Amino acid sequence: MTAAIRVEGLAKRYGNFAAVDDVSFDVKAGEIFGILGPNGAGKTTTLEIIEGLQAPDSGQVTVLGKDIQRDANWIKARIGVQLQSSAYFAFLTLHEILTLLGSFYPRRVPPNELLEMVGLADRAKSRINQLSIGQSQRFTAAASLVNDPELVILDEPTTGLDPQARHNLWELIQAIHARNVTVVLTTHYMEEAELLCQRLAIMDRGRIVAIDSPSELINRIETTYTIKLESLQPLDDSQLKALGTSGNLNRTEFGPHAQPQRDNSYLLRLDKNPEALNRAINCIVGSGISLKHMEVRPATLEDVFLELTGNELRD
Amino acid sequence: MYALTIANLKMMARNRQTTFWALFFPLVLVVVFGLFDFTATNSSKFAIIDAAETPASILLIDSFGELEARGLLDRQEQPPSLEEGRHLVASGDLDYLLSIPAEFGEAANFNGPTLMTPQNGSTDPTISPVPVTLIVGGEGEERNQLVIGAVRQGVQRTVGNASDALRPEGQASALPQDGATLDPVITERVAAATATYFEMVLLGLVAMGIMTHGTISIAVRISNYRNLSILKRMLVTPLSIWKFFAAEVTAQLLLAIVQAAVILAVGVFLFGAQINGNVLHMLPATILGSAVFLNLGFIISAWANTPAAASGMGNVVTLPMMCFAGTFFSTSALPWLLPYAADALPLAPMITALRDIGLRDATAWEVWPQLAWLAGWVAATALVAVRVFRFS
Repeated sequence: MTAAIRVEGLAKRYGNFAAVDDVSFDVKAGEIFGILGPNGAGKTTTLEIIEGLQAPDSGQVTVLGKDIQRDANWIKARIGVQLQSSAYFAFLTLHEILTLLGSFYPRRVPPNELLEMVGLADRAKSRINQLSIGQSQRFTAAASLVNDPELVILDEPTTGLDPQARHNLWELIQAIHARNVTVVLTTHYMEEAELLCQRLAIMDRGRIVAIDSPSELINRIETTYTIKLESLQPLDDSQLKALGTSGNLNRTEFGPHAQPQRDNSYLLRLDKNPEALNRAINCIVGSGISLKHMEVRPATLEDVFLELTGNELRD
Repeated sequence: MYALTIANLKMMARNRQTTFWALFFPLVLVVVFGLFDFTATNSSKFAIIDAAETPASILLIDSFGELEARGLLDRQEQPPSLEEGRHLVASGDLDYLLSIPAEFGEAANFNGPTLMTPQNGSTDPTISPVPVTLIVGGEGEERNQLVIGAVRQGVQRTVGNASDALRPEGQASALPQDGATLDPVITERVAAATATYFEMVLLGLVAMGIMTHGTISIAVRISNYRNLSILKRMLVTPLSIWKFFAAEVTAQLLLAIVQAAVILAVGVFLFGAQINGNVLHMLPATILGSAVFLNLGFIISAWANTPAAASGMGNVVTLPMMCFAGTFFSTSALPWLLPYAADALPLAPMITALRDIGLRDATAWEVWPQLAWLAGWVAATALVAVRVFRFS
């Protein structure tokens, strides 16, 4: 199967700041490919180079087999793009915006069909500012499909959405994918990446630190389980020390700044030692910690991210 | 591009508030200036060429004392000749010129019925004084009638006095009592090239309206589009970017023409301004001027980070031009080199061209220096706009 996108040795600098630093990856035709990373990791810059909005300093990018510099318009006619923060003309109706955008393309999907697909058929005559955030995000997704693209690129499609709207959009992305469209999306939501993406690139500080399917990424890391515990009193030094020997107690998840009422929360990451879980439980029971709450969960993408970058992934 | 132009026009029409206020703000000024009756508040310039210098002519001249005292007439120096006086009227430096012929009021003229024949060579033996000539250039008809009436009265009184004194007892007045015979006052109307102050301002306001709307609204629109990433969104489609701008410019130009038409119409139909020239000849100046100001708007939008900043910067660019480039006052009133600087700004040639066409009945090709200057501005501003423009 040919690659929908092939990126080789891509670099982009802004002054001294390397926004994208020697990035290479392939997106296979027909897959949902995610780029996961914190703000400023270089996700958007990478996408904008692929979309032809920015010129790379070096490296090569081909989209649908064509060079982005040489065949920009050929590519633009065949891809759909949802920008991170793209609004639309405030004084046109949804139907008019889709008609207008469609008029730029040789191949187009009727606006009503698109609105139907994203559940906005009854809002055809509304203006964009009359929509909820979730609706307008669905609308921008619809707008990226006006040309019946082979590839859509969605930049943080679910940022700022409430959980229900996010689920709606996930379904929409899967529906788009079901039409045999290759999907590339960026996100900083772990669960979203894990749920939607068949393959995932983790990006940090302009570099790709790992690239694989979500389950493979999780399998590859040291952490197997994470124990989240909350005690009634702050742990004393001996208790902390005891916990530290049983696993990797690197920090409290809910820091005093984020949620002061929960500053007795601790996070314990367990490595691949088959005894680790037993040892940790015994340690917690044995050191007399008065538990308020405890949660044991298998490793997630978040653990992958932490281990690979040492960074907490935050908005 | 057609679809985009239509969409732009739709958006402008729906964004009623902004469009209306930006577009028709000059109308407020039209109304303000239209309500002032500048002809009533100003005194008319008036001169007399007295070739007779007889007691009768002096009496006649005296009869204008009252109009002068009321501030309606402002007597100017006597022009050296009738011909030059006529030029003065034609160029608007004089509103009225009264020419009293040398033969006026000579006592002998009133001795008998046949002593005087009318100038037109008729042999009608009606007794008639040598008529005086009043050259009228003023625009205000009311004022004209007042002055003509005053002259006629003055002549009748003067001549009446003279003839009464000379007429034998019992004889009827020598002066014709009805208008059936020769009028003692020949009025000669000179199509004065000058327009009223309101008409000058009206055409200035047309240009000003195009300038402020063109510059400010495009600057605000584009910086708004950039803030909302709409420009970027256009760039990821295969639409050529020149088509995007062409559509913006086309829509704005159409609007500028509508705006000019509305402002002119209000001035003409509501406030009685007289536009002598062919309005269609104003199109080149309107379009070129509009293009300059749109380019300025694009340049401003490149510098402004927010639509509010764009609006402020637009005002900074347009307000001084409005004041200096002769919308309201003649640029020649400025000190030092400023008149030249003001005339070089794009608004000045646009206003000059519009005034020449509208008020002096010039054709579009007669104002080619102004159009050429505007075209130069279009080219220069377009170059800068292309260089500084940014999409994000």
